[in-house]
This record gives sequence, C-alpha cells and structure tokens, in this order.
Amino acid sequence: MADNAAEARIDQALAMRVRLDGDRLAFEQLVRRHQGMVRAQLRRLLHGDEAAADDLAQETFMLAWRKLDQFRGEARFSTWLYRIAYTCFLQAHRGPLRHDAIDDEAMERLQAPAQRVDLQLDLERGMRRLSSAEQAVLLHCAQLGLSHEEAVYVLAMPLGTVKTHATRGKAKLKTWLAAWRDAGSTEEAS
Amino acid sequence: MSEPHDDGIEALLRQQFEGSVADDGFSGRVMRQLPPRRRRAGWPLWLGMVAGAAACWPCLAGAPLLQAGWRDWLRGELSLPVAGMWLAVIGLSWLALGWGLAESRGR
Repeated sequence: MADNAAEARIDQALAMRVRLDGDRLAFEQLVRRHQGMVRAQLRRLLHGDEAAADDLAQETFMLAWRKLDQFRGEARFSTWLYRIAYTCFLQAHRGPLRHDAIDDEAMERLQAPAQRVDLQLDLERGMRRLSSAEQAVLLHCAQLGLSHEEAVYVLAMPLGTVKTHATRGKAKLKTWLAAWRDAGSTEEAS
Repeated sequence: MSEPHDDGIEALLRQQFEGSVADDGFSGRVMRQLPPRRRRAGWPLWLGMVAGAAACWPCLAGAPLLQAGWRDWLRGELSLPVAGMWLAVIGLSWLALGWGLAESRGR
C-alpha cells in the first residue's frame, strides 16, 4: 500500500513537470513506467492481438500527452491511462459492450471438459465465453488489480453494475470449471 | 484445484494474466512520434479580463459609493466608502476564484 502511494506520488510529480514545463523526459519516464501494463490490458481486451494492442497503446500515450492538462490527480495516473486505453479500445471497436454473450441456460448446457486438459486453457476458454462486460470487469479487477471504484472510473459503469458483472462472471467460471473440482474430489477419494 | 470458489477463481485469473509487457523499444517509438506540446495561449485570459472590465465600467462608474470611495482613496482617507469599495473588490475576487476552481474541477 505504501509502495503504491509512493509510486502514485512519483507519477504525480512527473505529470506536473510535463504540465508545467512540457518536459518530454518526464513524459518518457511515465511511458516507460506504464507501457507494460497498458499494453497488457489492451492485449487482453484484444484477445492476444499484439500488433493491434500496440497500435492502441501508442494512441493511448499520444492522447495522454495531449490531454495531460486534464489529469487532476483524482485517480492514480495508471488508472487514468487505463481509462484512456479502454476508451480507445471501445472507439476502435465502435459499439457498446455485449452484456449477453451467453445466457444462464446456455451456460448450464455447456459441456464440462471430459478430460483433464490444462486448467489454464479451460479458464481462457471460459473467459472468452463471458460477455464483454464481464470480461472487462474481471480483467480490470482480478487481473490488473483495480478496486471496484477504480474499475467504475475506467469502465464508466455504475458501481452496482461492476459488482454484478464481477459476481456473475466469477459464478459462470466457477460453474464451467466445476469438472476440475469434481476431478479433484475423485482423485482425493481414490 | 479442489474448490474453485471466488478466491480460487481470482487466484486462477491472476495466474493466467501474463503481467507487464517488456518494453522492446515501444517507449522509444512513442517518444519519436510525440508532437511538440501545445502551449496554452495566455491572451484569451487577458482579453476576457479587459472585456469584462470594459463591460462593468459603465455600470459602476455612476455608483456614488464607488465614486466617493475612489475619491477618498486618492486623498488617502480611510473612510466608510473606501472600506466598502475594497470589500466589494475582495468579494468579487473571491467569487471569481471560487468560480474558476469549480470550473477547473469539473473539467
């Protein structure tokens, strides 16, 4: 927590130098500090399309350079960047998020994995079966480590919607991965 | 994995996330394409202040309190109109400051 606060203060100081003096070196520091996670966020949103993700990441930092006067420190700098990146992603895909990629009945009809294939692979498949909104919420909250409030800021969704998507997304994954639990129980019994 | 409950799912999601991407020249490419930073022009602010003062002057010039205050101020007398004039100036300045802060927060 203290590390996060110190990192946030460094970001604030660098952003201030860019705003007041147009300091390119300070901005370069900000890019170097945050490019990795912004690119990881976009790669996840684009299901691993690295070239497209890097194009959007570049656009994100261009926008951040132009709009830095609008960064008031109400959120962490990284959260502000995630928000710009997510907006770029939505604009590139021109359309609202799918909220109903798969309904509950269809979820129940899904076949559980018959063989013990790689759990991570099944999780990846499960993530792709979720609605875009659920994927986005789980990506930002569980994988990028944002709080629900920060996810609200990045995704521009009401807090209740973020919480609902997080709960539903995890519940669906839990159901789809139930075969792993059953397999684990069988192994333990035998 | 024996019990993929919420914490288990979250732990799995964290494990599945590849984490930060290595730079590999990305930052350099961004910096090379960065346009010069546009400096905010100061003249609109000054133009607005002059225009505002010019618009207020015809209304305020005829106010007896202001006339008396200004006359006493020039004479070096600390009278009630002088105090009133400066209170009005300070009050309006605070009002403008508060408005400016509220606008900047809303951006």
